[in-house]
Amino acid sequence: MPYKRTEQKFNGKINVCEIGAGDAAISIGGEKTLPFLGDEGFKTAVGIAISDAPEDWADCFKTIYGDDLKNPAAFAKAAVEKSGADFILVKLASADPNGADNSVENCVATAVAVEAAVEVPVVIEGCKNAEKDAKLLEAVAKALENKNVVLFSAVEDNYKTIGAAGAMAYGQKVSAESAVDINLAKQLNILLTQLGVKSQDIVMDVGSAAAGYGFEYVASTMDRIRLAGLGQNDESLQMPIITDVSSDSWSVKESVFTEAEAPEWGNLEARGIGMEVTTAAACVVGGSNAIIVRHPESAKTIKSMIAGLIG
Amino acid sequence: MSKFMVIGERIHCISPAIRQAFADRNPDPILLRAKEQLTAGADYLDLNIGPAERDGEDLMQWGVKLLQENFDNVPLALDTANMKAIEAGIKVYNRAKGKPIVNSADAGDRIGYLDLAAANDAMCIALCSKEGVPADNDERIMYCSELLERGMEHGMEPTDMLFDPLFIVIKGMQDKLMDVLEAIQMITDMGLLTTGGLSNVSNGAPKHIRPLLDSATIAMAIQCGFSSAIVNPCDRRLMETVVACDIIKNNILYADSVLEF
Repeated sequence: MPYKRTEQKFNGKINVCEIGAGDAAISIGGEKTLPFLGDEGFKTAVGIAISDAPEDWADCFKTIYGDDLKNPAAFAKAAVEKSGADFILVKLASADPNGADNSVENCVATAVAVEAAVEVPVVIEGCKNAEKDAKLLEAVAKALENKNVVLFSAVEDNYKTIGAAGAMAYGQKVSAESAVDINLAKQLNILLTQLGVKSQDIVMDVGSAAAGYGFEYVASTMDRIRLAGLGQNDESLQMPIITDVSSDSWSVKESVFTEAEAPEWGNLEARGIGMEVTTAAACVVGGSNAIIVRHPESAKTIKSMIAGLIG
Repeated sequence: MSKFMVIGERIHCISPAIRQAFADRNPDPILLRAKEQLTAGADYLDLNIGPAERDGEDLMQWGVKLLQENFDNVPLALDTANMKAIEAGIKVYNRAKGKPIVNSADAGDRIGYLDLAAANDAMCIALCSKEGVPADNDERIMYCSELLERGMEHGMEPTDMLFDPLFIVIKGMQDKLMDVLEAIQMITDMGLLTTGGLSNVSNGAPKHIRPLLDSATIAMAIQCGFSSAIVNPCDRRLMETVVACDIIKNNILYADSVLEF
């Protein structure tokens, strides 16, 4: 019997989302197939993460960045230079009311300084306190009007403020965070769209986990989201996916235990990079359109993997 | 599985307003009904111009262009007894959002509609009947097989044929309705797609009863594999039932706001 090749045809298409302004702008999304299977030039963007409160980061980052760690603008510049990343994520972790509780004004100043220091698009993360992030990301959106930054991220408890201020009043992009909950991912996109945010202005932060820490669930969530968007042509799930693996990857025992605590595991920096690259690679082949890592070596490795896959 | 396909039935020459609009080539009443149905969730629109013996070709082309130009190439079912009009409609039809559907062939005098669909790379609704409503499922499946064979002989993909088991009216033929559901299951088990004019089920029942009968019937039919129907999408209860069934069958992804369409 002759071999009959069967091809699964998709009607749907992932939205193209442009982030950044002017010459620095990049586009993510646009694919009509699962990752790397089409011929439409699917290319994952790679971002590097910095923080305004990196005190708890592994010692290797002190060696890499030195005093720049204390100055977000210098830190941002160095991170982009050392990693060759396509964009940068700045975590305004100091805003956390249960931590340093830094003021909105100070954090906005940090965001503005970082944006001015780099020539790549900027993604701005709050402190993961829904109430504070609503105020903070609203103020950031206003201060960086026309810079087309990504507000990372709106959750169920603050999507109205962040959606209305960010995407509608000040022309930014809004990320919708659903923490590995596929139904919530769809729901948040519907709610943002009902609010009046254009679907082209939404990206999805569907969540992640470090490889080996329940990643199967992340993988199946990404698969189902992509299959719904492409196969069922579900317009409420055709937004590009942006995934930050940096915090998860650098907070599991493999990337935290010192060489004194776990001598048989070898060099801590290499372990952290290993965790991060493994997790990021899995997300990239799972469908992330933009992937964010912490270590410059991780960024370079993932970039070369993507280049190799595209061929 | 792909989600249930809703073909909106409301652009039909049996309505006096639509008949008049066709005669006058007046776009407004037609565009209004199209918009209502698409907003309510219709996937395809049926364009029924009636017998249209005199100016069918011109009328069908006018209707196809009108709807597709105003609603982003909405896919259409072309519905008339005038075969030349269907062919004329397909000539100006834009396939960007889906193939045209020829409505409809049967195993009797209308078998030529299947040849027409095959010759024009269109889909076709195939009524499992020859003259009137089939007596039982032996007849339904016999006609279904005849139509399938004919379509395939002419080069059609089996999935381009939508087999209609002919829904019967509850008021008068209540005892035969389970047969129709069984036929849907049998046709589905053959790997084929189905459709049907659902409103027939509740024909003659009071207005407030019809949505209940229609939505219960469609839920039971979908359980048997029913894959599309020609319905009034403005029946909210019916459309909510279709979405709920699609969720239960895992054809679409659940979200809390999924019924806010």
